[in-house]
Amino acid sequence: MVPPVQVSPLIKTARWSALLIGLIYGKQRYDYLKPIAAEEKRIEEEEKKLREEQERIYKQLSEGL
Amino acid sequence: MAQAVQKFVAKVPTLVGAAVNYSKPRLATFWYYARVELVPPTPAEIPKAISGVQDLLKGFQSGRLGQTTVRDALRNGLVATEVLMWFYIGEIIGKRGLIGYDV
Repeated sequence: MVPPVQVSPLIKTARWSALLIGLIYGKQRYDYLKPIAAEEKRIEEEEKKLREEQERIYKQLSEGL
Repeated sequence: MAQAVQKFVAKVPTLVGAAVNYSKPRLATFWYYARVELVPPTPAEIPKAISGVQDLLKGFQSGRLGQTTVRDALRNGLVATEVLMWFYIGEIIGKRGLIGYDV
């Protein structure tokens, strides 16, 4: 088998620091996006309730006719 | 249908054994290379890495980098791309999801 190559310390540090930075970036972006998505979901729920209420009223009126 | 499921369940230990037998030597080769090539830098190597960065900067300032052959430039570009990909793997681990943010 080919003997394993000795990787230069620069590349090793660069790789693992890139991994660390990516980890931190992913975690921070997730924490930033989570409350925004929860807020949007809440607004969507309320609007859906409103829309269904209006549809119900509309159906009642159209059946009443 | 139940009989087919039973036959499959009876075969699972053999399948698992076959998978282990297949992967053992390949795992051994992986460890053989990874133990040397993929380990994190020891604290003693970090000053060498910093001096490596300084060498790069000096080479850039002196114009020596303009003398790299296309072959070397391509090779260095591939290494740089690989380092960049480690960033994205770190992001996948940090956001705890393979594709997209699971908010």
